[in-house]
Amino acid sequence: MKVVTGVVGNDIHVVANRLIELSLNARGFEVFNLGVNTYLEEFFDAVVETGAEVLLISSLNGEAEGWSREIKLLKASYKNLDNLVMMIGGNLVVGSGDADEIVPKYKNYGFDLVFHQVDLNTGLDTLEEYLKQRGMR
Amino acid sequence: MSLLQEEREIILSNEYVDNFDFAEVEEFVRNASKDLFISHHFKTKTKMLVQPRGGFPTYKKQFALNEFFVNANVDVLPLTIDSNTRLNDYATAKKMLRLSEENDVDMLNGYPLVNHGYRTTRKMITHFNKPVSLRHGTPDARLLIETAIASGIFEIEGGPITYLLPYSKNFPLDKAFLYWKYVEKICANYSRLNEPINRESFGPLTATLVPPAITITIQLLEMLLSLEEGVKSFSVSFSQTGSMNQDIVMGAVIRKLSAHYAKEIGCEDASIHLVYHQWMGAFPTNKSFAEQLINMSTVIASMVGADKIITKTREEASGIPTKEANAATVANTQYTLGILNGLPKIVDEEEEEILTLEVHAIMEAVFNDPADTLWRKVFNSIKSGIIDVPFSPHIINHNEMITIRDAKKNIRIIKRGNVPIPDRCYEYEKAQCDLSKDTTSIVNDIIHDIGIMQ
Repeated sequence: MKVVTGVVGNDIHVVANRLIELSLNARGFEVFNLGVNTYLEEFFDAVVETGAEVLLISSLNGEAEGWSREIKLLKASYKNLDNLVMMIGGNLVVGSGDADEIVPKYKNYGFDLVFHQVDLNTGLDTLEEYLKQRGMR
Repeated sequence: MSLLQEEREIILSNEYVDNFDFAEVEEFVRNASKDLFISHHFKTKTKMLVQPRGGFPTYKKQFALNEFFVNANVDVLPLTIDSNTRLNDYATAKKMLRLSEENDVDMLNGYPLVNHGYRTTRKMITHFNKPVSLRHGTPDARLLIETAIASGIFEIEGGPITYLLPYSKNFPLDKAFLYWKYVEKICANYSRLNEPINRESFGPLTATLVPPAITITIQLLEMLLSLEEGVKSFSVSFSQTGSMNQDIVMGAVIRKLSAHYAKEIGCEDASIHLVYHQWMGAFPTNKSFAEQLINMSTVIASMVGADKIITKTREEASGIPTKEANAATVANTQYTLGILNGLPKIVDEEEEEILTLEVHAIMEAVFNDPADTLWRKVFNSIKSGIIDVPFSPHIINHNEMITIRDAKKNIRIIKRGNVPIPDRCYEYEKAQCDLSKDTTSIVNDIIHDIGIMQ
């Protein structure tokens, strides 16, 4: 199964991005890693280009919050992305915030799976479980 | 008009630039006090030189910081440049400098040297009469370096590889090589007038599990690129790895090989120095622990026999340090150096041999590239993954190499990618690690290995 991943916005924090790629590969996914400093359009273009079924966006400096507000609008301008599994993880606010508030907010932005300051492997276990439930794996 | 002069005029045709009087600048450099040249201090020193990091937007604050450093018995003053100037965005730097001056709040993370200009900055530098080291991170540093030397800053840090691969996603690497070629030429030309201008490479790179073979290879290549343009004084550097033995081995090998490769290109007359960076990875938030870590780094630097140490502060985990904290580290480091006596000599021949073989193999692969000039060979080698820097965000970097720590916390290569690590060395590296684990637990180990000091 194909996954597009990368760090959104002007965020240059690269360490977790490499580890996500390593872990996804180890779990048998085919990974298209756009790296750090990636804009929303680039993510969706890559999903279309590769035919990926999962989009995994990460953020460390918290600027995902600003970008995510535009996701629904932007996604609607692409055709055939309705079945795309959207996942986001990392540090999802600038400063500190409460996961109980953050998770519903991001689900509202259009994400199926939201992980705020959650351990990488826990997040990926949940992704695999979710894909099974949807009959995709 | 020579090509260099033509390039110089293009760089200077910029509304934010001082009106350069090159005849006056040459006179200034020719007659400048020897004390301003770190190359002179390297010749005459009797102890390791101590240099902190630091830069504030306004002249006033930078001056105050320098006063604190001098009172703490600093050997080398830093001048760290703000991030707008690093990206050649002088308009934003100018605006933010004015805001910082008017509101007494720092709107820049360093000193915007181009906007201040050389006439102003020179006053500060000659006032303190200490060598100043320029710290930046600029791919196109041509104008910055012209301004720095005219100001009396006679040590220039950076290089086309070490200032690009850790900091940028897509600035073109080939352009960086050409911009830095200009910097080397300018440094070489001014070096003829007085003591030499010292160039220093930035060895820490991403400061994230970079194996010694990669660090040393890149240090040697930037040294060669600099020496071949006529630079006569150069510092190779690296940062604390997390294993004292690995640091000592690295220090021995980099000294030996820098002399070897300088001689290979007929530049044995250049003087080569070794700089050690205190721990460059994530710091503990507990400030007392941070001080212990800093102190330990100083001990290791002494074991390594570094010529200069670059310090951190107890506030590293929380942002840009205050001048008080910064000066305190300088005083503490000087104290530790003063009481460290009778250090034992440690030599690990097996590790040195393995590392030397690795570096020679990578260097040979770079030299065997069919391109006609060294910078193109290096460029092609990075592009093809012969040189691969773990955790570089740059799109040209291969990211195929994987490293972890062994039981003694040495950084080991467990996947070499396209890097031509000789089979014997590769087997040795892997044999030090427990590779029976699945990838998920290896990823957890890597996360732990990165945050080893927290």
